[in-house]
Amino acid sequence: MGFDLNRVIRGRVWKFGDSIETDAINPYYRYPTMDELKQHTMEVYRPEFPAQVRPGDILVAGRNFGCGSSRPGLVLREVGIAAIVAESVARLFLRNSISRAIPIFVAPGVAGIVEDGETLEVDYPEAVIRNVAGGASVPLRKFPPMIEQIFECGGLPEFARERYLREQALKGQPPMNADARR
Amino acid sequence: MAQTMAEKLLTRHNLSGNPARAGDFVEAKIDGAMCHYHAAEPMHDMALEAGFKDGLPRVWDPARVYVLLDHHQPTLSQKLADENALIRREVARLGIQCFHDSEPGIAHQMMLDYGLVRPGELVVGNDSHTVGYGSVNAGATGITRADMFYVLLYGELWFQVPESVRVVLEGRQPSYPIAKDMILYLAGNHGDDFAQGMSIEYSGSLVPQLSIDSRMCLSTHGVEVGAKFALFGSDEATHRFVKARTDQPYEPLAPDAGAHYANEIRLNVDEMPFMVAKPHQFGNVTPVDEARGTRINQAQIGSCANGRFEDIEIAARMLEGKKVAKGVRFLISPASQHVYLQCLKAGLIEKLIEAGAQVITPGCGVCQPRVGFLSDGEVCITATTRNFKGRKGSPKAEIYLAGPLTVTAAAVAGEIVNPKEMFRGL
Repeated sequence: MGFDLNRVIRGRVWKFGDSIETDAINPYYRYPTMDELKQHTMEVYRPEFPAQVRPGDILVAGRNFGCGSSRPGLVLREVGIAAIVAESVARLFLRNSISRAIPIFVAPGVAGIVEDGETLEVDYPEAVIRNVAGGASVPLRKFPPMIEQIFECGGLPEFARERYLREQALKGQPPMNADARR
Repeated sequence: MAQTMAEKLLTRHNLSGNPARAGDFVEAKIDGAMCHYHAAEPMHDMALEAGFKDGLPRVWDPARVYVLLDHHQPTLSQKLADENALIRREVARLGIQCFHDSEPGIAHQMMLDYGLVRPGELVVGNDSHTVGYGSVNAGATGITRADMFYVLLYGELWFQVPESVRVVLEGRQPSYPIAKDMILYLAGNHGDDFAQGMSIEYSGSLVPQLSIDSRMCLSTHGVEVGAKFALFGSDEATHRFVKARTDQPYEPLAPDAGAHYANEIRLNVDEMPFMVAKPHQFGNVTPVDEARGTRINQAQIGSCANGRFEDIEIAARMLEGKKVAKGVRFLISPASQHVYLQCLKAGLIEKLIEAGAQVITPGCGVCQPRVGFLSDGEVCITATTRNFKGRKGSPKAEIYLAGPLTVTAAAVAGEIVNPKEMFRGL
């Protein structure tokens, strides 16, 4: 399913520090199923997180969020995180999030404008992150059009399939082995 | 327009044919794609999820896809055996030519052992430590499994052309490896993300003195400081290494004079003490003397960072006439069968076992909670890649990262010590 970058996201903030690693986000070696992961994600930094996170909450982090192994943060979407906003994001976590259409935004300065539990607003069309109560804001970095398209398609595998179908159609061949209806 | 190595790499591979400049987004042609144990996801699961009802319809070039089932070799459970069986079927169906599924070892080391990476190539892998092939001048980087799905179909992928940071290494190579100390020193002094999204270009008067093993350690750890590429130039040592393993032609990368660097960092190793990273982050670095006296339960040498001949050779050399401290588990895991055999032929394995070390089958196990778990309150000092909380089992265990010499000294003393105090004449 595609992700609509143009929808404004507003939610309660869970705030984390710098260099949060993917072992903490997605400790799949110890908890191999998604059900288990949901009960343990981020617990090494905030033991109360898995039990108290609510759908629609926003995760705010410092610099280098998602460093370490290349592992997607699908579990954060599963527990209801509506957006991740960080001072900076480790390169592979950023690629992982883009390629699975998980809303992630780089906004240097964000850790300075919001405290844990406050309400934050992510306004992608206006390229701004706002603290709803206090009014403080920082700019967010927009993505280039190709990456916006990946979000629109719902991720890179879906983007790949659309390209494949388009190319097959151009060749005048039936889309062999690709279910056009999904 | 003078270019960095990364700009040159992505210019050569840019599908649009335009020169690539730092900051540009490009779609690039891929020379090689390495899939390790997570191969089932890009090769199969994602195809179904995306709507290819019979799986991936093709791979773009069956000669350029390399599948190496490393983390799960030998398999540790039936579930993983089933996953390997699925990958084996898909590899046959798709006609993939290079498949290592019955050989333990770390995929990255095997890619280099078997000459599957050449200077100047753009190589991707679905593992963060793919960046290590920069040691032989390859533009190599980790990508995600979804990225790999796209690469398998098209042999193309988007990249942002990185800014480059020049890391100038100077001084004299001592008689033992110090690559780990160097990268820890850099992370400690410049931050564990000093190269976030950037390309590192290693240069300086120390580089010609560095073994390929040491270069592999430095490039592999590029990802621990955020790097997209971690490149050495191509010199005589590179050519000797590569030409002994492949007869494929290649075109090395070299930076132009006057290329633009976002930053330059200098390190003179003559003034550098032995370094350790304390729990639980790579950048939590101090000179070894500040961790002295920390009792340890386990010591390790292995992984894609430090499982190479020179890492194991220094341990064996230093253990001569000494014993591992009573109660300390000293695990040593060569990075591949090739490295294992090299160590065996040099007589190292015998020395290690006589001194009380355990030799573990090549693979990724010692760097993960797979082989050698830690219990609550236990302390491990390790020449592997990461020291995150819970990385070796209990989140209440503590992991220190260090070079193989410092690890060996700790294994003998039963506590962290300065190797210069333990081993006279260093």
